[in-house]
Amino acid sequence: MSTGDHYQARSGSRLKRGILLALAIVATLCSVGPLWFALVSSVRPEGDIFRYLSPLSIKSIWPTTWTGSSFRTLMNTGFGWPVLNSVIVAVFTIVIGLLLCSAAAFALGVLQFRGQKFLFGVTLVGFLMPFDALAIPLSQVLTGAGFQNTFDGLILPAVGNGLAIFALRQFFRNIPRELLEAAQMDGLGWWRILFRIYLPLSKPALISAALILFVFQWHAFLWPLLIAPDPAIQVAPVAIAQFSQETFVDFGAIFAGTVITAAIPLGLLLYAQKYFVASIARSGGK
Amino acid sequence: MTTSIKPAAKPSAAPARRGRPAKIGGTRLAVLLMLGPALVAILFFRLVPAFEAIRTSLSDPQGPFAAYDRVFADPAFQASVRQTLLFTVLVNPFQIMLALALAVLLTQRLPLVGLWRTLIFLPAALPQVVSAIIWGVLFRPDGPLNAVLNALGLPHQPFLTSKFQALPGIIILVSWVGVGYWMMFLIAGLKDIPGDTLEAAKIDGAGPLRTFFQVTLPQLKRPLLFVLVADTIANFLVFAPVETLTAGGPDRSTNLIMYDIYERAYVAGDLPAASAETFILLCIILAVVSIQFKLLPSED
Repeated sequence: MSTGDHYQARSGSRLKRGILLALAIVATLCSVGPLWFALVSSVRPEGDIFRYLSPLSIKSIWPTTWTGSSFRTLMNTGFGWPVLNSVIVAVFTIVIGLLLCSAAAFALGVLQFRGQKFLFGVTLVGFLMPFDALAIPLSQVLTGAGFQNTFDGLILPAVGNGLAIFALRQFFRNIPRELLEAAQMDGLGWWRILFRIYLPLSKPALISAALILFVFQWHAFLWPLLIAPDPAIQVAPVAIAQFSQETFVDFGAIFAGTVITAAIPLGLLLYAQKYFVASIARSGGK
Repeated sequence: MTTSIKPAAKPSAAPARRGRPAKIGGTRLAVLLMLGPALVAILFFRLVPAFEAIRTSLSDPQGPFAAYDRVFADPAFQASVRQTLLFTVLVNPFQIMLALALAVLLTQRLPLVGLWRTLIFLPAALPQVVSAIIWGVLFRPDGPLNAVLNALGLPHQPFLTSKFQALPGIIILVSWVGVGYWMMFLIAGLKDIPGDTLEAAKIDGAGPLRTFFQVTLPQLKRPLLFVLVADTIANFLVFAPVETLTAGGPDRSTNLIMYDIYERAYVAGDLPAASAETFILLCIILAVVSIQFKLLPSED
């Protein structure tokens, strides 16, 4: 990812580069430090977490004894279910969300009709409204409509995502019009054009949109707290928050929970990082 | 100039066999079916709750504006507005300047720069509540941060148990997951800056700071505005760390407005007042974002 950087340092002095590198390393340590502590604490006996903090030594951040006991304790509390719930909700959100968002993006970016600009504005403004601020009234409405403690209640509010629509629309508009015109000459209807031509060409944008949808859903806390409080359908962030607030707190298990909750998005984001950055460049930067 | 889509013209004298002419009359239907679900989603999941909030806020048994009166008179609400505004004024410049500094730093030609970028971005993968839980432990009196301070000979800090340090503590833990995320947007924006403008500045003899302020920054206006607005809105909605760690305290110092609304709705059970407060929050967000747009015009 470093070739093609247009914005570069002047080839400065060695000292200057050394200082910049040191800064980068310090920033990285600050970023990674807490994660490292969580990871290390999750694989050592619970009592060791605090025992080796004072006096500060290498043992503070490296296990003297390795154990999976924290993960076992965590799983014994039934944490597997919230994780599974989170995954299910995320997968459905992505599938349904990609369908809805790419269709909307296609309509708003490729079709031609009067009022398209207006509707695009409406869509943007509509989805810009801060979701969490509306979570409480929405939960009142949806609970009344029977959506409490359902997967629908968790999934549906997240399938329409303004950022995803925006990113997909940008990408669609960059696809050469000749393809569209050729398809129309060949008598393809709009749906075929979308599914047979545009979508297959849009893999990077689809991946970015999928990531956007995924992150929104995986990170959700207030909404799942309100609409799905029942332990059977809780998602991971809610479960782990509840777990951390119990009277007898097992720190090792809590850290194990954070590691699991972090590992899935970390894995996905690391894998698809370049797509994410590419889509950001298209949507936020341009 | 866009080509207009009209139904295909009647084939002329000797048409090549090309299959049916384009069925563009189906455009209206396509728009309906393709855009419909998104519009329905906006209607049901954004507009309906907004109106419901307004409606509930005005339907207090003691009169249409009784809920608003109650809210404005409540010292908890007043503290909430103060602390939320204080939070906004502190956290947004902090996060954006840090994100910008990191973006600039990590677009320099440094060894392993891709690695640093990835590692700094890593926390952004975490939900805010997970960050809250981790930092909750870090901030403990017997936790690693105090252990480090001890080792450096510095005094113990109360962190989240101090009414002066609690809000900064929350700023830190939301910034830990936020900065890497916003940094990515700014890195993308920096990479979009054409090399020639920077070359030109160099040829004109501009030093790195002049170049940054007079060439780079103006070209970053769009991504910066985007990051500013999106970050500001996100920070108005901070809830998880307060709910999980501080319950609004100590002394209401972390009683951010989303938490206050939550308490009002579910602990006090006062829905009209909670809805009123929700509406007030929406107005505040709208006002702040409008100001931002006015102060930082971008060519759009």
